[in-house]
Amino acid sequence: MSGLPDLPAVGAPPRIAPALLRVALSLIVVYGAIGASLSWWQVVEAERLTSDPGNPLLVAAESEGRRGRIVDARGVVLAESVPVGDGSWTRRYPHPEAEPLLGYVSPDFGSAGLERSFSAELLGLRSLAPGGDLLRKLRRDAYDPQDVQLSLDVRLQRAAVALLRGKRGAIVAIEPASGRILALASTPTFDPNRIVDPATGAAYFADLLDRPAEASALLDRATMGRYTPGSVLKVATAVAGLGSGAITPQTIYPDQPAEERTGFLVQGFRVRDGHHLQTGRRALDLTGAIEVSCNIWFAHAGLDIGGRRFLAWGERMGFGEALPFDVPTAASTLDGGDGFLDDVELANAAYGQSETFVTPLQMALVAAIVADRGTLMRPHVVDELRSADGRVQTIVPEVWRQVLDAGQAETIALAMQQAVEGRLGRRFAGAAKVPGVPTAGKSGTAELGGEREPHAWFIGFAPVEAPRIAVAVIVENGGAGSASAVPMGGELMATWLKLAP
Amino acid sequence: MTGLAETADRRGPRFRRREALLLGGVAGAITCGWVSLASTVAGQPSMGDPLLLLAFLGMLGAAHAVLSLAGSRSDEVLLPVAGLLMGLSLLMMVRLPQGLVVQDFGPLELGLAPLQLIWIGVSLTAATVVAVALRSDLWLRSYKYTWAAAGIALLLLVFAFGEETNGARLTLRVGPVAGQPSELLKILLVVFLAGYLADNRALLAGRATRLGPLRLPPLPYLLPMLAMWGIALAIVVVQRDLGAALLFYAVFVVLLWVATQRLGDLAMGVLLFVVGAVVLYAFFPHVRGRVEIWLDPFATAQGAGFQIVRGLYALGRGGVLGTGLGAGLPGVDGHLSIPAVHTDFVFDALAEELGLAGALVILALYVVLAQRGLRIASAARDDFRALLAAGATLVVVVQAAIIVAGDARLIPLTGITLPFVSYGGSSLLANGIVLGLLLSLGDTRLAAPPPPQAIGRRERLRDAAGAVAGRAERVIS
Repeated sequence: MSGLPDLPAVGAPPRIAPALLRVALSLIVVYGAIGASLSWWQVVEAERLTSDPGNPLLVAAESEGRRGRIVDARGVVLAESVPVGDGSWTRRYPHPEAEPLLGYVSPDFGSAGLERSFSAELLGLRSLAPGGDLLRKLRRDAYDPQDVQLSLDVRLQRAAVALLRGKRGAIVAIEPASGRILALASTPTFDPNRIVDPATGAAYFADLLDRPAEASALLDRATMGRYTPGSVLKVATAVAGLGSGAITPQTIYPDQPAEERTGFLVQGFRVRDGHHLQTGRRALDLTGAIEVSCNIWFAHAGLDIGGRRFLAWGERMGFGEALPFDVPTAASTLDGGDGFLDDVELANAAYGQSETFVTPLQMALVAAIVADRGTLMRPHVVDELRSADGRVQTIVPEVWRQVLDAGQAETIALAMQQAVEGRLGRRFAGAAKVPGVPTAGKSGTAELGGEREPHAWFIGFAPVEAPRIAVAVIVENGGAGSASAVPMGGELMATWLKLAP
Repeated sequence: MTGLAETADRRGPRFRRREALLLGGVAGAITCGWVSLASTVAGQPSMGDPLLLLAFLGMLGAAHAVLSLAGSRSDEVLLPVAGLLMGLSLLMMVRLPQGLVVQDFGPLELGLAPLQLIWIGVSLTAATVVAVALRSDLWLRSYKYTWAAAGIALLLLVFAFGEETNGARLTLRVGPVAGQPSELLKILLVVFLAGYLADNRALLAGRATRLGPLRLPPLPYLLPMLAMWGIALAIVVVQRDLGAALLFYAVFVVLLWVATQRLGDLAMGVLLFVVGAVVLYAFFPHVRGRVEIWLDPFATAQGAGFQIVRGLYALGRGGVLGTGLGAGLPGVDGHLSIPAVHTDFVFDALAEELGLAGALVILALYVVLAQRGLRIASAARDDFRALLAAGATLVVVVQAAIIVAGDARLIPLTGITLPFVSYGGSSLLANGIVLGLLLSLGDTRLAAPPPPQAIGRRERLRDAAGAVAGRAERVIS
């Protein structure tokens, strides 16, 4: 500090005009930002906003426009609008076995399923013509209703529903190389015609809503049901293990044969098994562990992978968040969504118990990853949109995730074939064998604790070399997987290979 | 009226050629919109009932004629810009359900559009009268503390007797007349700030005083900033009027910076804003609610986020070129698709029917308004006028930015009107006065400003509030 007194300097203040120029420039920046965010909503997000099921535009279009049809892969009509006399239209569903995926649309009870998620396309709020939306205001018809063609084949769908008759459960069949859904069944199911019929709608819908949650017919178990997977999850553990390098096809755990008798002690918890009579003192490798569904081997593998890597690899397969799909899906988890509490939880999760909860669609994707030799295609059930003037928009199959090396996937595929066709595997999953076709699969029996019967599971694919179908089957409280889910999976794959030779 | 006659004698009428041309363009555009709207509604080419349109065009023409006859030498772009905004407003009010607002005048029952046209008429009258009759600004600058006192009194009245509208205590009712005083308040605010800052610029721009080991800003500078901050907080807490609080505070900080041009002032303003925002967020659920809706409106699309989500849908439906006037979706099944579509969300309705193209044009109109207003400010003959013109410009364009940015989910939504466009008498009247103020300040014939320090003791003493404040000022400095 100098010795001068520090007085307030009251001189001529700066001129105002230059400051005003800066104010003007700042205002231009602010208004530019506002213009940019408007552009975001009106250009980038416009399509998503317009197709959003909550948009009142849908209600308005519904009242004056006719919906397009929903047809299966071969053009069989699954949903169409028919006139009801007074100039209005109602929806007709010739194949209720496509429920609950298909959904319904009713002026009284709202909408669900594909009828809901593809409302914008069915009503034709967007045009398929290039620039069509830009020039909408110049057209006489504001709407351009589109037909929605599915990859679903109603013949396979009917077979899936027949297999599940009298049971509660779900079946998902997918084409591994494209991610196209071939069948997606969930039972018990409902008749959409009775919902949209004004004469029966109110009583029928009230009855559907009245049922307890576990017996609900409106719930799509295939996409929204979250089940303990049991041993079918070992395929996912094998993917995570090989992919992360924690295990190799040759990995053996020398203590495993001894632990078969005593149980494998993890932090005071004993992992137990039931196959030591068959394998005896032989230390199993990956193929052997999948063939006989060895809990102890997979518990070791899970601990070697470690919680963080297991979750990361789970995410690559689609676990942890809702799957991108054409109808809403629930998220599958390996850890209950809250991380692995301790090694006990991790070891048990590695063979599909503790807090693993999966949707049948997710397990079909796990089978499809192995079937397509490491590539996970984005699952989809809508193949094409077609407008009345003949314009077509095809949904091109796309790779969602490259999960695994082809060679590593091949190892798992052959192990799964061994689980169906091998000397020891036959005892568990042999019933899935498609006659004359190399078949791969994995059975599961998900223990639920208490007095409840376990869930029966099967995932698999065929033919092993060039798979044309991958399936996931769950029968709620169906007992041992080998008894119910496994033969159903085999029969469905056989049906498809016959239908589409 | 004697003032008007004198002026005419002095300079005589003057044809405002550019204004006439631009107003012709405005008339053409609004007429096109009118025909487009009527044809969409009728389903065939139609003029509809052009009574309201003709009345509106007549009002614009009258305002132009009065300015010309009075020989105004002021800016010729401001009126057409405001006129275009008002015309768009009229089109939208004609297009919306008329039952949104209904008022009885004896046997006469008026709906949304005729009422809005009346307010537009009031607004244009106010603008013209202020522009023509305000010949000297002496009374504005002399009584600044009186204006401040009036503003605070008005604010306290609203705090005490205000009625709630949509959860905010905004409306003051005196007999049959109801209004939103915050609109009037913003004029009082800029008049006071212009006077205060112009008088104290030198002191404020000067160095900080040292008080022992502390370096403090001069107290007269610190106090008004804290006072403004407190007033803004009080408006949020008591009135729940986030929009007005944000507007007042933002205009204050910008004007303060224009006066002192010290970055520290700007930083201090922003810092106080952040502190205030954090405190409000922490302790007041209605503020927290607004922020949460802003972060994820779709999470509560059927509840708290309903309005903003519906607004975003409207933006999406509009797309680039819009649905066309009358072809949008203001209502479904007898319900409005966006609540408050005629006030807070009028911009979304316009952006739906006119598209992004129209929306950007509306934004551009406010930018032009800003440019013309700030030009008047920088050409002003003294600091008071410069600050007053800048403040008047800012209260309009910052207000527009606050509500449109809220509509577009750039910032949390705060209920405030879109100047010249939203339905409402208080808003149109206040913005009309602001427009008149700008036109008057831009008029080269405005009486020369008094030399600095010429505002003598006599005016000070007449300004009762100023006498007290002046004494306080002297004590502090």
